[in-house]
Amino acid sequence: MAGLQQARIDYTTTVATVVLVTCLSAATLAQTKKEYSYTVGARANISVETQYGAISVKPGNPNQVLVTATLMSDNVEVDQQQNGNRIEIASHLLRGNQQQTSRIDYELLIPPDANINLRSSNGPLSVERLQGDLTLEGSDAVVDIRNVENGHVHVRTMRGPITLTDVRNGHVEIDSIGGDILMKSVTGPLVQARSSSGRIFYDGDFGSEGDYKFTTHTGDIEALVPADVSAAFRAHSVLGRVRHDFPLQPRHSRFREEAGRSFFGTSGQAASEVLLRSFSGRIRLKQR
Amino acid sequence: MKCSEVERVLPELVDAAPGSAFPADFESHLQSCPACADLVSDLKLIASEARDLVGTDEPAPRVWVRIAAQLREEGLIKDAESRPILVPASPPRRWTSTAWWLAPVAAAVLAAGAYVVSHNPTPQVATHVSAPAVATPVAQNSAHTSPDIPPKPPVVASVSQPIPATHPSSPKSAKPRDVVASAAPPTVEPEASAEDQQFLSVVSTRAPSLRATYEGQLQRVNANIREVQAYLDRYPGDVDARQQLMDAYQQKALLYQIALDRIQ
Repeated sequence: MAGLQQARIDYTTTVATVVLVTCLSAATLAQTKKEYSYTVGARANISVETQYGAISVKPGNPNQVLVTATLMSDNVEVDQQQNGNRIEIASHLLRGNQQQTSRIDYELLIPPDANINLRSSNGPLSVERLQGDLTLEGSDAVVDIRNVENGHVHVRTMRGPITLTDVRNGHVEIDSIGGDILMKSVTGPLVQARSSSGRIFYDGDFGSEGDYKFTTHTGDIEALVPADVSAAFRAHSVLGRVRHDFPLQPRHSRFREEAGRSFFGTSGQAASEVLLRSFSGRIRLKQR
Repeated sequence: MKCSEVERVLPELVDAAPGSAFPADFESHLQSCPACADLVSDLKLIASEARDLVGTDEPAPRVWVRIAAQLREEGLIKDAESRPILVPASPPRRWTSTAWWLAPVAAAVLAAGAYVVSHNPTPQVATHVSAPAVATPVAQNSAHTSPDIPPKPPVVASVSQPIPATHPSSPKSAKPRDVVASAAPPTVEPEASAEDQQFLSVVSTRAPSLRATYEGQLQRVNANIREVQAYLDRYPGDVDARQQLMDAYQQKALLYQIALDRIQ
């Protein structure tokens, strides 16, 4: 009897394995890679749009754009065209709308000075070591931007968290409805971050002569700054708690300071202007 | 035939075509041995299901059509819907006739926000509620649980002090911070506006799996708008709150734009 039971188990296992292997093999065989190469001039404009899938962009040859697309099934295809210095890449759903089978992952090597426009619903979107203008959009996409400088950085997500690291001399505008926004060493003439319920965290020195505005509705705002930061601060939460454990010099302001709800003050030469504002989130300024 | 001999022929049983004949003693053993009979029955079922599984990753479209027809017969969906709602349509990538209105609506949301924010009503003295000076705490902000930041003061339900007529941003205007009952979002969600209903309708048609996501986000931004608006009704001169209202409308416009980008 024990032999029969063992045979039953063995056979069940075998059949299940065969089914699993068959499915996995089918999925593997359906995955294909395609590569595209373009020659471009200075400040090329590159656009990549995919319903589902990751987009990764890194610097490459100064006059060449290399695109590697990994298609997860034959339910999708890549539409691509070049018009002069403008390149447009887009995923085209042929049938169905399944996230797994409609996915195309893109890897791009582009001239460092190129401008890029990336869009993916679920991402992730990652960009590094570029100097052009960056526009990234995705509803749930995780966005990661690092080591970029001298360009405009515009990011919009619905819930996806956004991380910016080492962004220098940038015109930065970040908007998310529910995603957290994390910025480390981000400086520039304009750095603006807005999230409705997401948290905003800034770790840096606020550069010099920049205008920094961080706004949330319910999300908390926290800024971690060095002792020698040079900035004028104004923080206010309509209903949330506001505090700072950082020595600030009083500054004249047309706004009324309310203990625990707002503070104003300067540090150093007050080279940059920093506004931290929330409706019901907490705000905190800390010394690193 | 013995049980051990039955085990030896099991592989043939699985590989055999449905309805294949087996030796008479095999069949007679199954009739006399419940254990072997169960085993053979189970293996036949597994083999049958496995063949079906390999052939299909998902049900054929005709299955969805039949389900839709049955649902229509049972009155669970309307006859007017000409196509089966359970078959996700492949979304075109460009503008479509059903989504064209989203862009102007997003612009209208922003314009409405700008109007509301810029429309600065004359500050008025709020009606003084003379009766009970006792303020009943009704809620604590549950989001503030961090030990290093104290929780918000309790929200109270009744006004216990007169609201000053002076501009709240003026240093002399003492705003009673413990009286913020009207700023709290209402417990009963009002019905979505016509634009919101249309927005959700298009989203559910074009991206059924996303409806709940967008619906949740829409409720959230609408709640934010109502929350700030209620606060501004009480403190119309609060410039920061006014800017927060503008931001809340921009968040709603952003939601519309993201949805538009996704479904077109």
